[in-house]
Parts: sequence; structure tokens; C-alpha cells
Amino acid sequence: MCENEDNIITVGKYVIIKKQNFKKIYKVATNGTLMLGRDTVQMHEIIGKPFWTTFEMIPVKEGKRTYFLKEVLETESLNDLLNKLPSGNDNRTIVDDGTSQKLSKEEILRLQESGKTGKEIVGSLIENNKSFLDRTEYSQEKYLKKKEQKYLRYITIWKPNISLLHDVYFQLDHNKIGNLRMDSLSQLLSYSDVQSDGLYMLYDSGSHGMSAAAILNRIGSNTEGHLINLHPGNVPQLALVNAMNFPREQLDKLINVNIYSFLRLYHQGESAVLDKISKKVHNNCINKIKENKGKNDDESLVNNEIPQIEEIDMKEENLNNINESNDKVEHSTNGSLKRKRDESDIHEAAEVTVAKKPKWLMETQDAVKLVKGSKARGLVIVAKEHPLNIVTALLPFLGFSRPFVIYHAHREPLQETYMTLKQKQSVINLRLLSNFLRSYQVLPDRTHPDILTSDTGGYLLSGYLVQ
Amino acid sequence: MSFNKVKEFIEEGDVIILYLGHNDMHSLEIKAKIPNKNGKMVDNVFQTKYGALKVFSLVGHKYGTKKKLSRGWAYVLQPTPELWTLTVPHRTQIIYSPDISLIIHLMDLIPGSIVIETGTGSGSLSHALIRVIRPHGHLYTFDFHEQRINIAQAEFERHGLSKFVTSSHKDVCIEGFGKELETKADAIFLDLPHPWLAIDYAVSTLKKSGGKLCSFSPCIEQVQRTCAKLISKGFIELNTYECLQREVHVQYKNLPILNLECLQYENVDKDMAQENEKQEVKLLTAMHARSLPGHTGFVTIATLPPFHVRKME
Repeated sequence: MCENEDNIITVGKYVIIKKQNFKKIYKVATNGTLMLGRDTVQMHEIIGKPFWTTFEMIPVKEGKRTYFLKEVLETESLNDLLNKLPSGNDNRTIVDDGTSQKLSKEEILRLQESGKTGKEIVGSLIENNKSFLDRTEYSQEKYLKKKEQKYLRYITIWKPNISLLHDVYFQLDHNKIGNLRMDSLSQLLSYSDVQSDGLYMLYDSGSHGMSAAAILNRIGSNTEGHLINLHPGNVPQLALVNAMNFPREQLDKLINVNIYSFLRLYHQGESAVLDKISKKVHNNCINKIKENKGKNDDESLVNNEIPQIEEIDMKEENLNNINESNDKVEHSTNGSLKRKRDESDIHEAAEVTVAKKPKWLMETQDAVKLVKGSKARGLVIVAKEHPLNIVTALLPFLGFSRPFVIYHAHREPLQETYMTLKQKQSVINLRLLSNFLRSYQVLPDRTHPDILTSDTGGYLLSGYLVQ
Repeated sequence: MSFNKVKEFIEEGDVIILYLGHNDMHSLEIKAKIPNKNGKMVDNVFQTKYGALKVFSLVGHKYGTKKKLSRGWAYVLQPTPELWTLTVPHRTQIIYSPDISLIIHLMDLIPGSIVIETGTGSGSLSHALIRVIRPHGHLYTFDFHEQRINIAQAEFERHGLSKFVTSSHKDVCIEGFGKELETKADAIFLDLPHPWLAIDYAVSTLKKSGGKLCSFSPCIEQVQRTCAKLISKGFIELNTYECLQREVHVQYKNLPILNLECLQYENVDKDMAQENEKQEVKLLTAMHARSLPGHTGFVTIATLPPFHVRKME
């Protein structure tokens, strides 16, 4: 059955690696390795296993932080270390003088490298901790939770979905997905009325494909919907779309086009676009110099393309630098880098021969055909730029009585957009929204809001287009 | 029938949203005659603050149209689950769009999902759930209140949604979700006074490959008992959230600017300080509402792992 096949980890699939509370995205490769902090894990063992399988990380050689994986059915828990241990009533006798732990750093490190299991290590940590028995049972539990994070070496492989991918990215670096918190993301999907059928339009300039992946996920597979993903650069950011392992058929519902090419083709026709390309051939050298200045971005397709790709490449480089230390999404970004090169090759080819239509042009034509065939059922804008010109340019593609929603990390550009749209009288029910989200620790007698909560939910502007 | 596809023109039998203003929206059914309070069929006329609207006269107009009334205008919109939530006739407390959005996101619903909802209440959440799981998914919705289920069922039919939803009158805390639903559900949503009583049944109703359980409760004590029960039944990855939406009102503000620096020097002519007081700056800003819903409910999400890796206490 195909569902069974879906549940097996195979080469090329993206998976989520979970180690205690830490999650990471990994693309399965034949002889892949994964960096988990300072540990290197050889990953080939997961291939062919079903999702949800748990593996133990076992050192390849004593003293080295390289591990191979071994499938396990039972994981050990530290909780039974607590059994029958006495505990204190409060912390009146505990003095934090840094001498509670009798083992030195070196001794602990040696324990780790000697190949002892996590449980054995934590067992000796407790034994050698002179204040452990004075701690309250809650405090003991907390201590064990912390040590579990550090010393237990189990990883479980999960299948990616939108909420997991969002979680990984939001915790790693919410800037990468435009600070789009899950409440804002979920409301983007509701307020734009995304569902399995109809045409949806998205402008996204920097969420690593988070919004495109989420919308495509809601359009579903074997359904009638389409998504036009407009982006300002040379290539769309699709890291998270790729990470969803969507089937081909579902990916085909997504058309990624440059917003400048799209609007030029729609308003001026194919000859205008082809003119641009042939001009580009003639003026290639001259343009290259101009382009680097990055001026007149919105004036010409030629001018906006190359500076943009440089910009993105620089960003990717930064990303990779971050990844070396933090190392969570290396494979997904590598994937998109590769794709980027492929696509820029195509662009270069287009510069040489005009006779053969480049791929991007055909895709743009597909998108134009779609919007000429039907009005969009919903419009979503996730912009880093000022959204006013974007929404003004895209509203004509939206059907009457249909909703749009704009996300921005800042309130001011949305205020200005609100006022301008309000004066136009063709939109109603305009609402500028912000959300407060907090999570809770729920434990017997210890329930309270989590100490840390995100305060960067961003702002949403939603409304309906009318005649 | 105006919920199941995008429509261009208003037809008889549609449910429309009449938009008079921000907080003034109404859902109306396009029918020539409706019964009055004595049960007699009379012309379907809806009174608004801008004058009377002969509802049936909207037939043939486009959705999104601006309808002239004797003292103003109204807009006619095709309902979305969000607009429906704002205009649904309340039979119970309802869940609003911010919580609905979060619930759907956390339950990982997609077209094709099999989802269970209890209780049905006024059907506000049901409409949003059906939107996500269509066309090949299905919603099974339960309520222990017979009249509510009947009204909801009739509503789904009027809205053209009945093939995506099965509604049943049942107290799931006592009877469970039924044998025919065993190991069928991708996700279960509980909005019950005692959600923990339904969890045993939930375990056998979720798919063997695992699934999500989401519970919405206004009180923290309910959350605690629910979480304790969920953990004992092998659920993992428990998280509880609270989401509050704030609407901010965009407006221009004129701020007077005081010139105080001139007071340091002797004034040449008149009192410059007084005159300068009239200087103003026009500022585009946003005001928060004087009050807002400070609490709706706690949303708890939990994952049931696939059968072969479940651990129960």
C-alpha cells in the first residue's frame, strides 16, 4: 500500500530528527552524517526503517564524539533513578557554593567517553552530588530532566509536517521565517480562506517557503487548487516546501514566478518580456555593471534579477555560517542552493538563445494563464517590503467578495496600507490584528505560564474585496 | 448552498452575509417568504439601520455587490467560515477564529483528514473543519444535546456541506465514539466539560498509525486533569497554549506641539509661547480597544504515537 511506502524512511526524503526536546531537519542521504551539537552521527542506519523508529547513538570508538545508530525498542528512562531516594521539603539547607558535585569536569568527561550509558553517568552524578538528597522531589525531577537532555543519546525519526517544521524553524531562528509565529501563520491560512479548490495567490519575500508550504499543504493532493507564489528575486525560497516531501502531483499545483516578470507579462504581453531578454543579450556587459548598483529594481526585469541573486546568495552564505555552529537546516538550505544554481543556469541559457523559451518564462505564462482563467479565491502577502504597492498590484487578480490578508513584522506599513485601502472603498471589513500567544507548563500542583514567551507575533491586515 | 464552492451570482437558497459595518454583519437566507412569529408566511424583508432590504431582490446580483438602501449601503458577501463565525446564531458559547485557526494548525489537518469534533455546539468550528478536510476527508461531529445536533444537521444541509459531515446525538463520555469509528480518526477535538472522560475512547478511535488530540477548556483545572489522563494513556508532546487576538484601530491623531524652548529668551513681540501652542503634527497611529476578551480557553494538543511504539502507564 502506498501509505506504507510513505511511512518508510528512504534516501532523498526529509525527516525530522528528535533528540529529547531538540529537533532538526535532515535530508536522508546514502552515507549521510548529521551534526548534533559537537557530535557527529552516521545516519545510514535509518534508511528503510519506518518513521517513529528510535535509535541509540553509540560511539564508534572510545573517546571520539562520532556515533553510529542502533535501532532500539526500549529506551531507558532516568525516572527510576529517583525511586526510593529520599528528598527534602524545601531548599533551606542548600547552599550554592559550587561544591555540591564532587566529580570534576574532567572526571565527568571521562565517564562520557568511557562508553557508559546515559543512565549510568547520571547515576554517578547523583551519587556524587552531596545536596541531591536535600532537594525537593520537584527539584530532583527538574535536575533529571536537564541531565536527560544532556546525557541520553536517543534519537527518534519523525515525518515532517507543517507544525513540526514551523516549530523547528521558529525555535532555531524565527527571523528565517519572517518572525511568523504559529498563531499568525494559522490565521493567514484561515483569513485567506485557503482550501482544496480554487486559485490562491501568495507574495512571499522571506519565509524560506513557510507560507507557500503551509498553503500548498492546505490545498492538498489530488485536489483542484492552485497556488501562484510570487517572489521578488531570481528564485523562490522553497526550503520548507521541499522539506514537506510533497508528491510531484501536489508540487505541480505550485507555480513560482518572479513578481516583476509576472506583472510585465500580464500587462504588456509576451513581446515586452522577450524584448527585455534580447536587450539583455545586447547590453549584457553594460548591464552587469549597472545591475550591481541594484538601482531601478522595479523598472526592469534585467536589472532586478542579478543583484537579487547575489543578495540571496549572500544570505545563504550567512545562513550556512550560522549552520556550522547551530547546524539545523544545512541540508534544506543546501538543497535550495543547488536548485538555485540550476535555475540560474537556465536564466543564463535564456540570455544566449531567445528562440528556446526559458523555463521561468513558461512558468510565468502558466501563471498568467491561470489568472486570466479565473479570479483568485484568496490573496496572501508575507512581505518584508512595504506592502502597499504589492497589494495594490495584486488586488485586481482577486475575486469580488474574496478575502486577502497581509502579514508584516511591523505595524506602521500596515497602518499606511490600511488608510490607503480604506480610502479606495473597494475593500471592506479591514482589520489590523495582533496576537498574544503563550504556552503553559502543566504539571500537578505546578501549572503556570512558561517563563519565556515570544513577543514578536507580527501584525495581520485582513479584508474583503468588493465591487 | 453558498458554502461548498465559490459563486459569482447570488441564487435562491444561498446564505449570504450582509455587511453594514465592522460590527454589524448578518447572515440571511435568500428566500422569498419566511415564517413570521405566528407561523404565517410573509415577505422576507430584513430591517437594517440604513433601511429595509427585500432579501429576495438580491437574486441575480454578484457577490461583493454594493446594495443601495434607502438611507445608505450594504455589501453582500459570500460566507466564509470566518464570516459565519461572526454571524452564526448562538446556541452555545462558540470558539472564534483565532482559536479555531490555532486548533486546526496544531491538529495538522489537511484535505483528506478524518476528524472528530465533540461537542458540535453552534457549528462555528465545524464549518472551519469541513473547509480544511474537503473534498476527501470527513468530519464526525457529536453533541449530547439532541436539538443542537438537529439544528446543526439542517444547517449543514442548507449550506451544501452534508456530504462532508456526519452528525450524531451522543454523549461520547459515556458511549464513546462508536465501533464503526475505531482506528479511523486522524484527529479528535474535545470541547467538553469533562474532556478526560472521553480520552479512553479517543485512544481506540485514533488511527493505529497515531494521531492528534486537541482539547479546548476554559479552566486550568480541566487542563490539568486532561493532561494527567493523556500522559497515562501514552500521549506525548503535550502542549497547552492560550491565544488572544487584539484588534487595533488605525486612525490619524493630531498632536499639539508645545514650543517651550522660546521661553528661555525674552519675547520680542507678543507671547510666542501661546501662539506656538497651536502647532500640530498629524500622526498615523493605532489605538488599542478599551477592553478585549482577556481569556477564551486553553488549547491543549497531544500526539498519540503509532500503535507499535505506544507506552502506557
